[in-house]
Amino acid sequence: MVDALSAVFQRPNFLAFVIIFLWGFYIMVTRYNLVKKLVGMYLVQTSVIFFLVSISAKKGATAPILLSTTDPVHAINYVNPLPHVLTLTAIVVGVATLGVGLALCSAIYRRYGSLDEEEILKRLE
Amino acid sequence: MSRHFPAILFLLPLFAAISMPVVCLRHRHWSRPISLAVLSSMVVLSILNLNSIITHGEVRYAFSGWSAPLGIEWVADGLASMILVTLSFLGLLALVFAGPTSPKDLGGRIVHYYTLILLLISALTGIVFAGDLFNLFVFLEVAAIASYALIGVAGGRALFAAFRYLVLGTLGASLYLLGVSYFYAASGTLNMADMAEKLPHLLNSKAVVGGLLFMFIGLGIKMALVPFHAWLPDAYTYAPESISPILASLVTKVALVGWVRIIFWVLGAKVIVNDIPVLLLVGILGTLAAVIGAVLALNQRDIKAMFAYGGISHIGIILIGVSQGNQTGFVGGVFYLLNDAVMQAALFFLAGMAICQYGARTVEDVGRIGKQAPWFTGVLIIVAMGMIGLPPTGGFFGKWYIILGALEANNYIAVAAVLLSTLLTLAYFVRLFEAIFRQTPLPSDRLPSDIPFAYKLSLGATSAAVIMLGVFSDPIVQLLLNHALPPGL
Repeated sequence: MVDALSAVFQRPNFLAFVIIFLWGFYIMVTRYNLVKKLVGMYLVQTSVIFFLVSISAKKGATAPILLSTTDPVHAINYVNPLPHVLTLTAIVVGVATLGVGLALCSAIYRRYGSLDEEEILKRLE
Repeated sequence: MSRHFPAILFLLPLFAAISMPVVCLRHRHWSRPISLAVLSSMVVLSILNLNSIITHGEVRYAFSGWSAPLGIEWVADGLASMILVTLSFLGLLALVFAGPTSPKDLGGRIVHYYTLILLLISALTGIVFAGDLFNLFVFLEVAAIASYALIGVAGGRALFAAFRYLVLGTLGASLYLLGVSYFYAASGTLNMADMAEKLPHLLNSKAVVGGLLFMFIGLGIKMALVPFHAWLPDAYTYAPESISPILASLVTKVALVGWVRIIFWVLGAKVIVNDIPVLLLVGILGTLAAVIGAVLALNQRDIKAMFAYGGISHIGIILIGVSQGNQTGFVGGVFYLLNDAVMQAALFFLAGMAICQYGARTVEDVGRIGKQAPWFTGVLIIVAMGMIGLPPTGGFFGKWYIILGALEANNYIAVAAVLLSTLLTLAYFVRLFEAIFRQTPLPSDRLPSDIPFAYKLSLGATSAAVIMLGVFSDPIVQLLLNHALPPGL
């Protein structure tokens, strides 16, 4: 138990990921306001992006740009750039989804005059 | 030239989609001919591509010359090429069908519609060809964003259904991405072929087990597998009539193809993770989906909702076939997938025609129009035969091979589930036919008799395809056996 706990607390990035993910999920499930649901959804997306970036972090390393052209290249001096690139794409995807979601929200508001899920469901009956 | 077909097939609709809003800003009526031309050339190209794959073997296309583990790879094997022929054929028919329906139900947003449809088709092509787990995620999301927008494009009740689909779909995509990042952290690669080599040594790693779980839940939401299907019926029922055929026939099936790729090409068919054979798990989920979807379909009054639940149960049947772990079952499942795509398109064409032409939405309304609409009833009979699985149609042969595969694996529960789902399918179509043949139409129900040519073409082509897939089932199954089998099955 102590081992497991200390393993968790030695990796604060994973702990932060779990907290943000569950927080976003909780907001998505419990709130009735559609915009708040979108906020929760965006937190979930962001937490995954945060996780992707954090697994590529390395102590004492720098961005993958060659420091000098004469010295031999040591991979240990550079951060793995691939997760950052994936993150960039994932951010673009997330922003596009959020945009479509907000557009749908505004269209729903114009039609039903409310953003409350229960009220909209009542009008749909 | 034939080496570049996979890239051209993806880029053609993508560029058409990007240039559509610019080109058609002034000339709105150009959007339809352009999209039809793009889709027709995709049909021709995809058939040529299938032909060259059959003669020359699979193509691994590396974009801009960066080869596999580093660059982005496109895998055009037999499975992808067969799916792609179906995809472009059904996409073309859906556009043909949309001609007379779209002015009514899209509220004048024609250019938006064609742009999004082309974007959706190019993203689906990307999912089919992707040889890289992260690319699969990106194309899943592009396809999903296009479908959210397409469902909501006309406003009305569909808006709320689209919003729910968006929230659930994004949760699924995030879980899938999380799974991919677990896999990446464990294996250090994203390329499917490369990962397939590295994974066997890592199967006891907790990261792989967790990643697999997250990926499966994510893709399960995307393909509307039974515990995660809640978004689908509303979204497909309230989507505009010119959009639901393409969504119902393609989006969930292509997500399923992505899953099949991961299970068989990345993990390997016989993989056992933590003492649980993955295929057994898939088979159990498929069994549940096949039965529960059909039971829910039986309870619907709205015909579109009924067909949507029917689609959910057929996803289950495909999974049962794929998960038997032998060649017969796998080929049966893939063959049934092709059939199901055609049948779902035909059913939603019928539902769209009933709504736009006759204003009929529920089972009772359909009964009222039935006898006076020979096209509607005739095509409904053919497609119902396919859905139930009666001999001359492709649905029969698909289920036949799936049951043979299940018997080969001594999996009698799967056989029972397929048969039970067939009986339930029969039951809900009997309900529909009872409504049609019991009721005598009132003299006041004079119906418009001239059906637009586009309806006749799309309905005729899909119902012909349902029968043709049955008549030519033998060569198609041989083709799948020779070219579409995963390694090690």
